Amino acid sequence: MTDATTEAAHSTGSAVAPQAEDPTAFGLLNTADHKRIGRLFIGFSLLFAVAGAVTDALVRFDLASDSGHTVLNLETFTQVFMFTRDALVFGMLIPFFLGVAIYIVPLQVGAPNVAFARAAALSFWGWLVSFGVLVGAYIGNGGPAGGWDAGVRLHMLALAGLVMSLIIGAICVAVTTLTMRAPGMYMDRTPPFAWSALVTASMLVVSLGVVLGQLVLLYIDHSYGRHFLDGNYGIWPRIDWMYRTPQLFIYVVPVLGVAAEIVLAAARRWVFEPLALYFTMGLVGLFGFGAWANFGIAGEGADIVDGLEGIVLVGLYAGALAGVAGLLALLGFTVWQSRNRPRPHPGAVSWKRPNTAVLAAFGAGKFIAVAALVGLIGAGVDWLNIAGRGVDGNAPLRFTTWVTGQQSLLIYGAGLMGALAALHWWAPKIWGRRLSEFVGWASFAAIGGGAVLAWLGPTLSGAFTEQPQFVYNDPLLTTVYDGLIDHSAAEGLSVVGGVGVIIVLVGVGLVLLNLLVSVGMGKGAEADADPWGGLTPEWLLDSPPALGQSASLPQLSSGTPLLDAELNGSVVPAEREPSEVPA
Amino acid sequence: MSETTMSAVETPQPGRYVVPGPPPRPRSQLVGTGFAIAAGSMAVAGALGHYMARRHILDDPGHDWLAGQSVPNPQLVYALITLLVSVVTAHWAHWASQRGERGHTWVGMAITLVMGFAFFNMVMYSLNRMEVELGAGEWENLAFAVTGLSLAILIVGMFYLGLMTLRSLGGSVGRDRSSPLGSAVFFWDFAVLAWAATWYVVYVVK
Repeated sequence: MTDATTEAAHSTGSAVAPQAEDPTAFGLLNTADHKRIGRLFIGFSLLFAVAGAVTDALVRFDLASDSGHTVLNLETFTQVFMFTRDALVFGMLIPFFLGVAIYIVPLQVGAPNVAFARAAALSFWGWLVSFGVLVGAYIGNGGPAGGWDAGVRLHMLALAGLVMSLIIGAICVAVTTLTMRAPGMYMDRTPPFAWSALVTASMLVVSLGVVLGQLVLLYIDHSYGRHFLDGNYGIWPRIDWMYRTPQLFIYVVPVLGVAAEIVLAAARRWVFEPLALYFTMGLVGLFGFGAWANFGIAGEGADIVDGLEGIVLVGLYAGALAGVAGLLALLGFTVWQSRNRPRPHPGAVSWKRPNTAVLAAFGAGKFIAVAALVGLIGAGVDWLNIAGRGVDGNAPLRFTTWVTGQQSLLIYGAGLMGALAALHWWAPKIWGRRLSEFVGWASFAAIGGGAVLAWLGPTLSGAFTEQPQFVYNDPLLTTVYDGLIDHSAAEGLSVVGGVGVIIVLVGVGLVLLNLLVSVGMGKGAEADADPWGGLTPEWLLDSPPALGQSASLPQLSSGTPLLDAELNGSVVPAEREPSEVPA
Repeated sequence: MSETTMSAVETPQPGRYVVPGPPPRPRSQLVGTGFAIAAGSMAVAGALGHYMARRHILDDPGHDWLAGQSVPNPQLVYALITLLVSVVTAHWAHWASQRGERGHTWVGMAITLVMGFAFFNMVMYSLNRMEVELGAGEWENLAFAVTGLSLAILIVGMFYLGLMTLRSLGGSVGRDRSSPLGSAVFFWDFAVLAWAATWYVVYVVK
């Protein structure tokens, strides 16, 4: 809606006409409804999670022999390795939570739709098409290290398309939270998930923007002479910061928001200091920023920073850890404070009878904390050269599969576990049905257990055998174990990691099966408006809310209207006429 | 909050809320433009950072970073001054729009857009004189890429200005209805700043 029409509606007291939505499948193509756009993002990102996990398993099992490649060959190993990162980060992790945010945030802040709804639709279709082009580039032997020149450039174009699409979606979410909150809902009363979405969206805009500039340079140089690219191998080291820590912390901030929503609902209490809640989440996002300088610090600008990179990285991980630990401590204290509070109705969540959403929220938060701690340990070891790391020819941990372990913690552990929590928590609001708790528990066990193995295998291998994560200028060295301390350990630990990914894949399959049966086939129990005893405004709406937007205005004085009413006996009115909205 | 809503005491009833309503805060476009500027700033900063890092590596006495190129600085300085003046005229147009002075708004925007085209004319002339050949060397590639990125942002800025000018021609003027034009002017400020940074790094410091 334009500013002018908004103002006109307010000044005249007239209602805004509901936006027509074609309810058929064809309507998906031209939809501008945030609920449909969100569902599309969620559905496709889960499919791409399967693709990323499958290729990750191939990469890990390919490393299970010191004789070279067991599953792939040199060329395909390189391509599959890079595609795995693309699929898991740009295919699953960012778009999944962007989709949830596009669906949930407008409902939480009392907005009729996401800001710039057409741009949000453009974000989805741009992302989907770009991902398709990216897959095509890899299939045609393109990708950052591909042998097909046009395919290499096609990959860069697709990556630019992905980044631009996700930035557009992030802007829509951020603007919704900042400018479309219902009257009376101030920023310090915003629901935790909406706040986490704002943090992530803001940080995505300022961090992923860097890669657009980089891609312009890389594209031009690759097309004309390759003066600084060193063949194709100069591309990946300049962009792989997007797939590593600390950048990954930015992507998982929404997981903290999901966890806070669920934990506080189970506790039936608001945190004693809301600003601390917002501050800790912001801290995690803030300390994830700066990863784009990784190559400059470690590579081309190494002599400029002259050894300061170690303390910088230690500082970033310490800040992220402080944020996560602070948030978890805050939530834990709130749970302790409310240990004897009764549930509002028998179906409401509680710590005494945790459901899948509660378990997954708890698990996802812990995974992020462990990831920050592991990152801090790794950065500290590299900085202080503990156990000879980084000196006398020994590889720093950041060049080994230690990094793969961190990625597994944040993508599988935090990301997929957070996705599981979000799906089970908001499935009633998104699809109108509850997901099966039995299958949910099985998914929780599989994703959690698999993520632990997927983390431990490469982490231990990186720490004790110096198994390289990826050798940029010669990928063959990634898989040849001649220089390693212990071949057998590297092989075995690669298998452990591979098995972990397979178990994660089973977990994702169970999630998809659950969605298919509970939602697609309609076997899940129909949900009423507030099946869990939620605190935030979306639980005041029907499950699911009708398509399109309506004209009446909500009046919200906080992000937890149901809790306010429960505690104080006050009430949030059902509707308010547009003419009552203050100018 | 109205008295009726505060005085009512009743159990909340999930499901009663059918809807959220229209946003009461009218600055969505301005805030969205701010985020787009943030992304664009980081893109330009990333590209310039890359340029400077490569220059730093190759900055040795035996290396000819510029590969014998001479930069026609007078023309580029005039081009920059033209852009800076266009910022003034763009703000003039916005200022006039807020006061409902349509004539001044349109004249201001027209001058801004003409200056934008004049800038491109000057820059193209300068680049043609330099005879930068893509692929001839690292500087050529980097300079072309960074310059191209900044020019692309300026083109987006002109398109945005043009679009919002058409909107103001359609009657979107006045204190409460100038936010769209203000957003475009805001983006234009950024585009000019991005070009100024590019000009200084690539064509002054080289």
